[in-house]
Amino acid sequence: MTDQPTDRPEVRRPARRRPSRDAKLVVGLAVVGATVLFAIFGPMLTQDPRSSDNPVLVPPQPGHWLGTTSLGYDVLAQLAEGARGSLLVGVVAGLLAIVLSLVFGVVAGYARGATDEGLSLITNVMLVIPGLPLMIVVSSYLEVRSLWVVAIILGATAWPGAAVVLRLQARSLRSRDYVSAARVAGESTPRLLGMEILPNLLPLLTAQFLFAVVLSILGEAGLSYLGLGPNGSITWGTMLNEAQGGGALTRGAWWWFVPPGLMIAVLGCAMSLINFAIDEVIDPKLRQAPTAAKLQRKARKAGLDITSPAHDDDTPRPAPASRAPDPDDHKERVQA
Amino acid sequence: MHGPTRRRRWLRATALAATVTLLAAACGGGTAEAPEDGAAPSAAGGDTDRELVIWAGSQTPITANFNPFNAAGVLHLANGGIYETLFAYNKAADTEPVPLLGTDFAWSEDGTELTVTLRDGVEWNDGEPFTTDDVVYSFLNEASKPAYLADAVATDDSAVLLSFDEPQFTNEFALLGATYMVPEHVFSQHEDAEDAEAELSGIVAWPNAESPVGTGPYLVETTSDAAYTAVANPGYWGGEPAVKNLRYVGIDSNQSAEDLLATGQVDWATMFVPEPERIEAAGYGYLNTPVDPTVLYTCANADLGCEGDQTDVAVRQALSVAIDRGQIAEKAFVGLTADISPTFALLGRDDKWIADGMPAAIEQSADADQAGQILEDAGYEKDADGFYGKDGEPIELTLTSVDGWSDYNNAAKLIEEQAAAAGIKVIASTVSWNEFADSRTGGEFQLVMGGVIGTSSADPYQIYRDWFSGDYTTPVGTALEPGFWNFSRYANDEVDAAVKVAAGTDDESVKADAYATVQEHIVHDVPYIPLVVNATQTFYNSTDYTGWPTEEDLYLFPPAWQGPTSGVILGNLTGTE
Amino acid sequence: MRFYARRVGFYALTLWIAVSLNFLLPRLLPGDPYTILLARLQRSGDVSPAVQNSLRLLLGATEDQSLWQQYVSYWGNLLRGDLGVSVTQFPTPVTDLIAGALPWTIGLVGTATILSFVLGVGLGAWAGWRRGSWVDGVIPSTTLLQSLPYFWVALLFIYVFSVELRWFPIIGAYDVFTFNGPELSWAFVGSVLYHAVLPAVTIIISSVGAWMLGMRNMMVSTLSEDYVMTAQAKGLHTRRIALTYAVRNAAIPSVNGFGVALAFVVAGSLVTEQVFSYPGLGKLMIEAVRNNDYALMQGVFLMITLAVLAALLVMDLVHGLIDPRARHRD
Repeated sequence: MTDQPTDRPEVRRPARRRPSRDAKLVVGLAVVGATVLFAIFGPMLTQDPRSSDNPVLVPPQPGHWLGTTSLGYDVLAQLAEGARGSLLVGVVAGLLAIVLSLVFGVVAGYARGATDEGLSLITNVMLVIPGLPLMIVVSSYLEVRSLWVVAIILGATAWPGAAVVLRLQARSLRSRDYVSAARVAGESTPRLLGMEILPNLLPLLTAQFLFAVVLSILGEAGLSYLGLGPNGSITWGTMLNEAQGGGALTRGAWWWFVPPGLMIAVLGCAMSLINFAIDEVIDPKLRQAPTAAKLQRKARKAGLDITSPAHDDDTPRPAPASRAPDPDDHKERVQA
Repeated sequence: MHGPTRRRRWLRATALAATVTLLAAACGGGTAEAPEDGAAPSAAGGDTDRELVIWAGSQTPITANFNPFNAAGVLHLANGGIYETLFAYNKAADTEPVPLLGTDFAWSEDGTELTVTLRDGVEWNDGEPFTTDDVVYSFLNEASKPAYLADAVATDDSAVLLSFDEPQFTNEFALLGATYMVPEHVFSQHEDAEDAEAELSGIVAWPNAESPVGTGPYLVETTSDAAYTAVANPGYWGGEPAVKNLRYVGIDSNQSAEDLLATGQVDWATMFVPEPERIEAAGYGYLNTPVDPTVLYTCANADLGCEGDQTDVAVRQALSVAIDRGQIAEKAFVGLTADISPTFALLGRDDKWIADGMPAAIEQSADADQAGQILEDAGYEKDADGFYGKDGEPIELTLTSVDGWSDYNNAAKLIEEQAAAAGIKVIASTVSWNEFADSRTGGEFQLVMGGVIGTSSADPYQIYRDWFSGDYTTPVGTALEPGFWNFSRYANDEVDAAVKVAAGTDDESVKADAYATVQEHIVHDVPYIPLVVNATQTFYNSTDYTGWPTEEDLYLFPPAWQGPTSGVILGNLTGTE
Repeated sequence: MRFYARRVGFYALTLWIAVSLNFLLPRLLPGDPYTILLARLQRSGDVSPAVQNSLRLLLGATEDQSLWQQYVSYWGNLLRGDLGVSVTQFPTPVTDLIAGALPWTIGLVGTATILSFVLGVGLGAWAGWRRGSWVDGVIPSTTLLQSLPYFWVALLFIYVFSVELRWFPIIGAYDVFTFNGPELSWAFVGSVLYHAVLPAVTIIISSVGAWMLGMRNMMVSTLSEDYVMTAQAKGLHTRRIALTYAVRNAAIPSVNGFGVALAFVVAGSLVTEQVFSYPGLGKLMIEAVRNNDYALMQGVFLMITLAVLAALLVMDLVHGLIDPRARHRD
């Protein structure tokens, strides 16, 4: 977050500077990239995560940089192997959830009529069935819950919420003037969906995808805590489950309990930061408006704005950020 | 985030345990000498008003139910604290049964009649006298009458005769130590209790939630979702207990219970704690009384439909030899377990029953070479990957354990590693409780990490009959009947015959000979691969109370959840101030 | 009116499907309660024939009915408001168990959800209004909060604040070592509040970031919309612009989300209730599923189903009020 943009060297930056889009993106990408690299190469560089041939519960030290578990597994090796598992679960579940929510949300919201009713019915039924028993039923039919199965269960139960949000948004968009205009102009439905609706939903979609990934990784951890995680695989969730079951905290083995949770939190945070930055790229208002507001506030403080009111809180909205909010313009930029 | 919680370890050690009892092995029969006056409070300390907080394994919400015939719902206090048995048996040591409502008992020569002498002057806590009618009722009512009991009649004002069609030496514990005495004048009012919703009827449907009438040392005071309290029974036949107030709380996880112990908020609990020193440091007394074996169930009998490589005795023997029990005890069970005997006699308590020539404790370290030798002698060969197999098919065994039982899960992982080192491929996986229950009772498994019930008195008979005899199993695909525990489907005519001989005698040498036959076969055939005798850890507040069972004076099995002994222990406690 | 009739009809249909599925799902679980209980008892110790007899009487009763018969009587009972008797919590009626657990869940999770929403939306609106300022700059760091595994935080909190520092209790919704059940006294109320602090704080920590971020982004977007600018051009007071135009419009997605969040309050936070041993619906549900306690499971499922449907219906209707376009198009 300390990355300082260099595009406007003439402005002295205040001490508490808001992280710029670039800083957020760079930090987010760096952390996610590092995690992915750790997942790919970590297991090659560490010892066998399933080898109990170590002293038990040793604190971090050379050779066991993150200590060992109560069975003598090397925590660092488990963390690397767990990164693979957790990332796999997150991405697979995220993709599945977003595809399903597109089908059930956007199509329903746009199509309306019988299609809407049908799809919404499915969405609503899925929404009200508590996820827990569904997962139990499904997983109890499967003798072995692999990573993939858990990912699919998570993805298949995670979409209805997103679908509802997307449907409402799509429905609202459909009734906007420019969409009506395009429809009157005779554009086909798929084209309308692809050219008018989807681009405007992109921020929401992207947000929902990254959100679904984070949520699935968290969900996998939660399932594992409740004893429904993938069996036979190592993920950060199963590590936490074992640490908890083994009384890691009460036995003072923080090096066993803390790292997996922290990895989940940091990865989730990084994805949210990317999400943040992507939001701003897709919807420049999110970036330009704050920047403009800040510039104006600064200018006013410097005495350049004679109309500034007494209270900063009541600052009027700044002049439109460089361009008119023209939907067509917006669309083109997104496609560019 | 929606899912059931991990299977908590304490559940298996505690839930409902006080309510369940075993048809115990006979302990030699004959006449037990009744100590003078039963379990009167010891004189070491004085009365105390300090509330004794007990966690016996209840979870919240607690539902008030003090009906000892309702095994599924009865609260721990009812068994021992309110209702008492005729005698209390000691699962932890080879001691004489403690007389409670009975003072003496005698078997007839042939084991078909059992005469019990009752304690005089006992009153129910509603003021009515305790009579032979109550005893007869307690044995013969619909909910409690065992199939083997032919009749129960009062022979005079203070003795009851139980009669059977066949010798029942081996059911002494079930009759005397596990059948709770209830007041006929109260319970007979509720025989028509009915619950249309649950489609229940009869005594079991009656919750007995309001002021239960018993003979025990305590009276129920209040009940709520989270806890129930009791006060000392001033009219208790053994004298009013010195500890005046009890509080049983519901706690939902092992971790919470351990935290509450560490912060001194619970006075008596029996649960697994990996580092008991931490609780001891908080000022608690600590007693570890391992009694229940932990084993690998193997589905051993191909004749009854078992499938998999473990049906070959050589594979079972080799696997048993390949296991490093010392490492498992140390790493998975945190060094709290006791060594197990391959004869399933409890070392220390049952030593006299281990036949000459039988090993006492099983070998603790692994011997991969010997395991390989056993397999090679049986025609197996090592393949390119280093795993033994026959005809190009490597041995592959799936070992399941219940997800979340972390000691079992860990032991299974270690066994997978150890077996691989000896060239045997074992795949450890975890299953839900439901799958575990289904697979073992139906016989559809290869290896399952599981427990064997330790016997309730100093005699391994119960294990030999219920777990090893062919009469106590069913073909694969057919669920075991209630009371059958032979999950391995093991069936051996010589074992069955020897078990029958042991059942019909109270002659120790005849029984020992029969046991020698049983042991010879089960040690060779290993239908259950013995691992350890699992820990039973009890923590108690020894700062404010005395009179607990201790290492030196292990007068009863100490767990807070065990009935009726927990009631006897409570009556025995005094305050230190 | 037609809009409302259609919505109600739609939710009635959804209710029927959901209830039927609720009926079927528990029965698709393998195992039967008798076997499971017996196996559990066996792990705990010894099982006498007397105990086994009574267990059979307790648990083996419904096997001779066909699925269809069970379904019919299920609906019959449902319409009478009769949800059966719990087997594991025998002989308490399911309705009693739910009634006992419901207030705790609604109280804790509901309050925490509302606090989290108000706090998050308020802070988000403020950050959005003051876009570009340091307040706004703190927003990205809140993503760390929502990425923390909930139970991990809760367990750490218990370890630090309850076990090591002993500031807060370890279990329960009130002091079970002092009170013999709920009572009407200030001491009891104080105890309830004291016990709710840690669970509520962890719920808020894990959920407030999402509200904040969503509101902030919508706020920034809305402030760039035509109508807000028009309002400004017309010289309306800035506070009025902020409240009437910006916040009201920016909050629509958050309010939608809030409806869903409220709907799921009744499901409890399984993990919260589990970690803190809080006696709510979520914990009840876990026990029911684990023990194949059909009646209890159905009861809890039904509660959640009804609550979610009702909340969604309300949300739809409110949405129709706030955004007339949605209503007219239907």
